Amino acid sequence: MSKTNLTKWLFALMLAMLLVLAACGDDTSSEEPEKDPETTEEDPAGEEDPEDAEEPEDGLYSIDDFATTKTNEGTAIEGGTLNFGLVSDTVFEGTLNYNFYSGAPDAEVIAWFDESMLYTDGNFTFTNEGPATFETEPYETDEYPNGVTFTFTIRDNVNWHDGEPVKAEDWAFSYEVIGHPDYPGVRFGPDFTNIIGMEEYNAGEADSISGIEIVDEKTLKITYKESQPSLLTGGVWSYAMPKHIFKDIPVAEMQESDAVRKNPVGMGPFKVKQITPGESVVYEKNADYWRGEPNLDQVVLKVVSPATVVQALETGEVDMVDGFPVDQFVDNADMSNVEWLGVTDLAYTYIGFKLGHWDAEAKKVVMDPEKKMADVNLRRAMWYAVDNNAVGEQFYNGLRWNATTLIIPPFGDYHDPTIETPTFNPDEANKILDEAGYKDVDGDGIREDKDGEELVINFASMSGGDVAEPLARYYIQSWENVGLKVELIDGRLLEFNAFYDRVGQAGEDDPNIDIYQGAWGTGTDVNPYGLYGPDQMFNFPRYESEKNTELLVEGNSLDAFDVEYRQGIYKEWQQLMVDDIPVFPTLYRAVLIPVNNRVHNYSIDYGSTMGRHELAVTQEEAIKHED
Amino acid sequence: MGAKSVNVEVKSNVVKSPSGISVIWREIVKDKIALISLIFLVLVTAFVYGVSLVLDQKEIVKVDLFSIYEPPNDEFILGTDYGGRDVFGQLIIGTRNSLSIAILVTVMTGVIGIVYGLVSGYFGGHIDNIMMRILDFFMILPFTMIVIAFVAIIPKYSVWTFSLIMTAFLWMGLARLVRSRTLAEKELDYIQAAKTLGTSNIKIIFKHVLPNVSSLIIVSMTLSLAGNIGLESGLSFLGFGFPENTPSLGTLLSYARNPQVLEHRWWIWVPASVMILLLMLCVNNVGTALRRATDARQRRG
Amino acid sequence: MWKFSLRRILIMIPQLFFLSLLIFVLAKMMPGDALSGQIDPNIDPARIEELRIQMGWYDPWHQQYAAWVGNLLQGDLGDSFRFKMPVTELIGQRIANSFWLSVATLIFTYLIAIPLGITSGRFNDTWKDQLITGYSYLGFATPLFIFALVMLWLFGFQLQWFPSSGSIEPGLEPGTFEYFMSKFYHLLLPALSMALITTFSTIQYLRNDIVDTKQKEFILTARAKGASESRVYNKHILRNSLLPIAAFLGFEITGLIGGSIFIETIFSYPGMGQLLIESISLRDYSVVTATTLLFGMASILGALLSDIILSIIDPRIRIK
Repeated sequence: MSKTNLTKWLFALMLAMLLVLAACGDDTSSEEPEKDPETTEEDPAGEEDPEDAEEPEDGLYSIDDFATTKTNEGTAIEGGTLNFGLVSDTVFEGTLNYNFYSGAPDAEVIAWFDESMLYTDGNFTFTNEGPATFETEPYETDEYPNGVTFTFTIRDNVNWHDGEPVKAEDWAFSYEVIGHPDYPGVRFGPDFTNIIGMEEYNAGEADSISGIEIVDEKTLKITYKESQPSLLTGGVWSYAMPKHIFKDIPVAEMQESDAVRKNPVGMGPFKVKQITPGESVVYEKNADYWRGEPNLDQVVLKVVSPATVVQALETGEVDMVDGFPVDQFVDNADMSNVEWLGVTDLAYTYIGFKLGHWDAEAKKVVMDPEKKMADVNLRRAMWYAVDNNAVGEQFYNGLRWNATTLIIPPFGDYHDPTIETPTFNPDEANKILDEAGYKDVDGDGIREDKDGEELVINFASMSGGDVAEPLARYYIQSWENVGLKVELIDGRLLEFNAFYDRVGQAGEDDPNIDIYQGAWGTGTDVNPYGLYGPDQMFNFPRYESEKNTELLVEGNSLDAFDVEYRQGIYKEWQQLMVDDIPVFPTLYRAVLIPVNNRVHNYSIDYGSTMGRHELAVTQEEAIKHED
Repeated sequence: MGAKSVNVEVKSNVVKSPSGISVIWREIVKDKIALISLIFLVLVTAFVYGVSLVLDQKEIVKVDLFSIYEPPNDEFILGTDYGGRDVFGQLIIGTRNSLSIAILVTVMTGVIGIVYGLVSGYFGGHIDNIMMRILDFFMILPFTMIVIAFVAIIPKYSVWTFSLIMTAFLWMGLARLVRSRTLAEKELDYIQAAKTLGTSNIKIIFKHVLPNVSSLIIVSMTLSLAGNIGLESGLSFLGFGFPENTPSLGTLLSYARNPQVLEHRWWIWVPASVMILLLMLCVNNVGTALRRATDARQRRG
Repeated sequence: MWKFSLRRILIMIPQLFFLSLLIFVLAKMMPGDALSGQIDPNIDPARIEELRIQMGWYDPWHQQYAAWVGNLLQGDLGDSFRFKMPVTELIGQRIANSFWLSVATLIFTYLIAIPLGITSGRFNDTWKDQLITGYSYLGFATPLFIFALVMLWLFGFQLQWFPSSGSIEPGLEPGTFEYFMSKFYHLLLPALSMALITTFSTIQYLRNDIVDTKQKEFILTARAKGASESRVYNKHILRNSLLPIAAFLGFEITGLIGGSIFIETIFSYPGMGQLLIESISLRDYSVVTATTLLFGMASILGALLSDIILSIIDPRIRIK
């Protein structure tokens, strides 16, 4: 009996070890020294690395070290198939039309076979390089003294995949669909009602939109009531819809139709050949593409789980992905068969303060001077108390870094790096709090409020990902260090929907929330009015001031077409935000994209006009990773 | 008639001499594996509950930016995790929490399930029908959805509320098993005999049927205890378990969702995994011994 | 028997009704709705409000419920807000995937578990038994997620014996032979990963039942009559011990459409498990109610099936 006892335990133990070993078995980087801020890390690879990422001295990376355009090595072959990975935990929805989609995965799928009529430059402003060129002229009437008329001309050789030319009526058609009373999508909004005649059309009072004129087959005129710089950074809806395919489908049923889900037709460099719903799409080249026949024969797009994306890249199963999970970068930075491209993301995270509430009747923000966080000194002290650089370095290895102003660096013309913003300085924070009257009355190390009453600040933060909890805890600890008692509302992180519900995305703010941590994806429009304007529901801090409103309106006015003037306005606005602190930004972040070495001609630079038709490969099979 | 009553008396004489507890104890002692397992379980439980009285949960979960992902070293026996928190401390508190939940849930589901199953199976007919239909209804309740809804709606939940929710979803299995076995048992002669003697139903259920179904119950409850230890780990994976400031074996394990942790930072999840495995094995071994104890023909002692 | 089944099915209807009511109310109680995720500065909140009103989400819940029931009776399960397609079509796509995966998993599980359970029960307390029990416990304690991931890394990527994602090779025409082969090929690794872990309960129940049955007197009698050992096992013990397994078969069938979210996430395999969980998180009400109802129905039918099988095999459990 004792013999079998031992055997049994041995076997059980062995099996357990086997499992552990299997998990560590393909640990290729186990020889690397542990990332440690104190020691310097030698570059293990001696040979010339085509990677541009410089070896970090202390395990930290900087966004400046990443190239935005792939270095081409070797010679490209004709044809070939590229494998593109869509990194996602879940399926893509499959609403494959720019006018109906809502969700980043679908956008990735559409980008291969369809495109915008207008290209943009490094400042996200429309140019004349795209399928359509445009001109503007002022439109002045008594009713609309600041109007503008856009005249778009579509190039001759721009055609849909089924051979039909892309016409002005196709572009007008997308406006007619989005503005239609039965339109079920999310795109309709102020950018559309800015068109003369759109509101009447949308209310069902008119059969057509008076501000849109189809001059001839390739020329379109759209007249807007208010001329604004935002029009040039995405305000104009630049996606057409093949009218000859959609005209017989009722608007309410379009997004379910086969023309959107099963065999969508676009005007981009590749055509959709076959879709496996939710999993993969196969594209073949569109030989008639207006910029030239694509090099590649075929592109295969597959959904890849974030748990296996590293393996997929190493074995060459995918050549590149839409966005690599940044927290997996550190352990895979020296993958030998890819080059890492990096660019600053159009987003920032921030800590927001609740300074009022939303008046649903008047549809505006109402500030409340009795609110707990109403004293700007309190807010400023809280900014001084957190060390965002340390957060960026420790949690993200430098792939996120301290944010300064609310206009992010990718808006190169407008982000002002000279503005001084509070950085980690607990002494300063303590000083500010002492002077403002937040003293520790009962000697327990926690400050009371100005009346000597207990001060507990309720903090709302979202769950999601490994970092969420430690990050929230870190902030709470930082504030405790300067004597402020901050508690997670309900004692834990909130789920995504619950969080935004309570923070006020439907206008019903939870009055118990004092501060919250959020993030914004800014999109390509620098204008911050949608987030900080006095009549915007997304103005979660519920902050307004005369100066703020004045600057925001000026920043998108006729005068702001002058870049220098606009720069001045936004500089003032950024400074105002640093003075008034309705929110303070915490981190900017990087987007990282690995590209297999066999790929040529790919760029993620915001100003690049390199098209997907130029993509090429140097060999039939993807290059595999070698240790 | 006369012979039958003699049988009953003789039987009760034989059973009375060694008490139930001593039979069980003897059985465990005779089976070395079960003994070792029992000792291990008692030790772990004592250690974990004892030490967590001393350990400060707040300290353990304090985020230390500068100790992130440290491998095991002198300062941290089992290294640190994503927040720079001591894994060993979390393991201790986590084991305590997971054990508490497992025991609570097993006991509650056991009591409810056994009673329900016995009553339903014994009375049969319409009562059985109605009770089974109610049980069916519980069975079709969508587990995931209700848990998610609860988490979203109930602001603060603790070990207790969690256990209650789990119990609501888990008692059915045991009830069904006990019921089908009881249905079979009650046709047997000795039950008929007891009925003829005029024994009250409650007495029959608990003194006659129950002991004979006990083998099934013990196996089932052992499995269930073993299973409940890892119960909330599944939910933690999905993000609906405990928040990270209430460590449990499940939250530690769920860090392995990140492939980097899985591959390169094994010290975070492997100890939790091994602990779950060992606890389960031990519970199983003790349960096997218990099961043998209940069936006189299989006893070794 | 038929009367019995019919009665059960009839009772199913009020059960499902209560279930749907409960789900509906619960769903509405959860904060947020399908549009809560549209926190995009480029999207107009007024537009989102408009859409909400259009979809009827501000109507009182009993009104919404009545509307839903009305549609249901006409066979219309509504549209998925997230996928913008009819729920029936959506479920149809996913259920086929989940069904085949589950069938494969079930077959593998029985193939592994039954021989192992028999061996374990027959030679109980020998090293064979210890080994098998140890293995099954290992499987039970190992989190499915981790195991499946390791399997995938090993067999899918390192050795490349199996495809590593999706339910089918991109680009194949449905209906062709290659299509079926590819679908089958893609099933194998996920099914195997799952089967290796979930054999635990089947093995243990089978083993314990065999051990119990072995002690019974009719076995002694059979041996006394001179029956060979294998005959004793195959003819006498096995038939009795398969009872619990047969009873569970009904439930396993229910599980066939449930899918497992872990497997589906790791293998990028679009199935029902993912659909349900995501729909709850994303508040896609029509999908949530439809799938829950579907599962509920399958569950009840599964239990019914179990009971029928049980009564066929074991005449002691009589159906009145």
